[in-house]
Amino acid sequence: MMKHKPKIVWLQAITCNGNTHSLLSANPSRFELLLNTFDFFYHPSITTEKTLDDVLNLKEIDFLLLEGAVTSNKQFYQISDSSVTDLLKKVSKKSKYIISVGSCASYGGIHAKFEENSDIKGLQDTLNIVELKKLKQPIINLTGCPVHPEWILQTLFTLKEFGVISLDMQSRPKDIYYGLAHHGCTRNEYFEWKVEAKSFGHKEGCLFYEEGCRGPMTHSNCNRILWNDVNTKTRAGMPCIGCTEFDFPRDNMLETKKNIGIPSEVPFGINKRAYLTITGVAKTFKIDRLNKKLIE
Amino acid sequence: MKTLNIIERIEGEAKLVCTWKENKISDAQIQFLNFRGFEYILNNKPALDALIYTPRICGICGQAHLKATAEALENIYKSINEPLYITDKAKLLREIGLNIEIIDSHIKWFYIFIMPDIAKLSKEQKYLKYEALKGESWRKGTYAASESIKALAVFAGQWPHTSYMIPGGVMSDPTLFDIITMQNYMDQTLHFLEKELIGTDIEKYFSFDSELDLDTLNATLSDFKNLCFENDLHILGKSYNSHITLSDTSLFESGRIEVKNRLLVDLSLIDEKDINTFKINEQKKENEYTWAKTALYNNKPYETGPLSRALISNRKLIKNIHKTYGDSVFTRVMARMDELINLVFITKKLIKQIDLSQESYIPAKIDLKDIESATSISTVEAARGSLLHKVTIENAIIKDYDVITPSVWNLGPGIGDKFGIAQKAIIGADSIEKAHIILRSFDVCSVCTTH
Repeated sequence: MMKHKPKIVWLQAITCNGNTHSLLSANPSRFELLLNTFDFFYHPSITTEKTLDDVLNLKEIDFLLLEGAVTSNKQFYQISDSSVTDLLKKVSKKSKYIISVGSCASYGGIHAKFEENSDIKGLQDTLNIVELKKLKQPIINLTGCPVHPEWILQTLFTLKEFGVISLDMQSRPKDIYYGLAHHGCTRNEYFEWKVEAKSFGHKEGCLFYEEGCRGPMTHSNCNRILWNDVNTKTRAGMPCIGCTEFDFPRDNMLETKKNIGIPSEVPFGINKRAYLTITGVAKTFKIDRLNKKLIE
Repeated sequence: MKTLNIIERIEGEAKLVCTWKENKISDAQIQFLNFRGFEYILNNKPALDALIYTPRICGICGQAHLKATAEALENIYKSINEPLYITDKAKLLREIGLNIEIIDSHIKWFYIFIMPDIAKLSKEQKYLKYEALKGESWRKGTYAASESIKALAVFAGQWPHTSYMIPGGVMSDPTLFDIITMQNYMDQTLHFLEKELIGTDIEKYFSFDSELDLDTLNATLSDFKNLCFENDLHILGKSYNSHITLSDTSLFESGRIEVKNRLLVDLSLIDEKDINTFKINEQKKENEYTWAKTALYNNKPYETGPLSRALISNRKLIKNIHKTYGDSVFTRVMARMDELINLVFITKKLIKQIDLSQESYIPAKIDLKDIESATSISTVEAARGSLLHKVTIENAIIKDYDVITPSVWNLGPGIGDKFGIAQKAIIGADSIEKAHIILRSFDVCSVCTTH
């Protein structure tokens, strides 16, 4: 007997399709498991047999995933003649779970910076949760620009098996966002002993002091699950730009804002004065190993 | 008779309005109705933040935008006679990164976006393997794409949306083992191409000088060729046959071709027009029907992309196919696949050339903030064709940012009685399915077209 495969409907609003391409870059066997376990009913870029009309005719959707920011302004954005907001209002009522895939769907993200359209926002600010009678738990925000494919897979499989997941204050799964991008970074020892990166383009040194790295203030597990199975931005030498937080994108993302030579924001949960004291002490240790090239 | 169709699976959607005469399309209008306003978003932002913003113009060709931004900002230094020194290592890591992104894009485009449609033209059982999501070949295509992009993540940290290039070089500092890992992933990609796409080894493929050579093989390219010839796709899809490539790389040469003559490119003759384009905060005029603008060179439309690049840099197999079939769907798609094969081959060579003892990044002597006002241009070969960025900054703040994407060249509206490139190619098709395939043969990216 065929088991019921939960239906996934993926819609796109104001987006660059980065989350779709992140999903397509998932670990191939994980992606295959996803395709075999779920009924990938509709995705505007991937499926060929079903149309948006077929989606509108569905009675029930198990998982509604949205990629991209939402607007009611048809002058700038429409999906098959419908405004994004109208379409989502219709489809969300049929859905058991609603997942905002990416920072744009969660908060408006980079697209909300387009000020000429003053009505660009995230999904949770668009839908009235009281009207969503079928919904089994609050709208889930998978933030990130883009989302890591594993976050999509883990969220879908967990909901399928356990029916519910715990969310943080910003409606993000705690299992993903409990820690910081900093955890697992290969540059952590430089951070501990306050050894700054000399400049871009080196394996050595921490990118927090000069290059704007937000690893210690950004909730994400990038450095624990790795991107494309092999690496992360901070491991490679690019500072974390805090793309999983509500305030992404900020200004001057590649430099550290400072007051009299001291980073004006300090790692999450630490008193600033205490942090500066520790920094002062750590800097008195001149650890030779950390000031040398790793490979001579 | 007029018909209106919504076209999906083009990184967004478009509307195709066709006029029919005697069962053939006699006029076609391609409407892109969605606009995100990147050029507006970039205004008054810190210049270096553009390295974070522009890759997000497109989820599939972000590295092309990143390279264009990094080099446009480097050209700002050039414009004030203080050029930055970029090491060969950094230049190589940028070109390799971009190549890997194009490789990933071409594999996905072929197996996910065009083959399922072409295979559907036939009822033969053997083509079911190209069916979206379920088909064995479709799945192998996505598998190969996600494996090949790992070669980029090794030194760029991740894909999509990394900004590892910066004026002065690149942010990463790979080891010898990283280099060999990149080689390994490229070798796996090559193995996929030999086994699944071509059906023979690459040396034999490079000896091919006609599409007839494909007939001896049993792989995706021969299936593709048979399907094309059964459905007239070797005749359909012809446009002006004028081609342009704006920049040089290890594989491509800049230039343009018009009536068989190869000519040089002068960037100052490029113009972007918005006669048929919607305007922000203005009442819509009757002739305005799309957010796409029109890119012209010396007031004429030109096609850009893999076919143009293959012809301008004289790649034998495509040159010969083009001699017989012109700029048809078959030629255009073959050119993209031939480019894929050549890119994997050349990228392997480029990886080997990296001298790890060189610096990855050399900081500028002058702070961008100390440059009062300057304008510069950069050009990059992206998966879909030539990309141009033009930036004006004042004390490191962006005052104007103009992006002309490949899809603006290929998919922008025609002006007056002069059709746009894809518009002209669609005219003459005898079914809407074929019109879709013709449009798709340009590797349409809706988000890039309007940005």
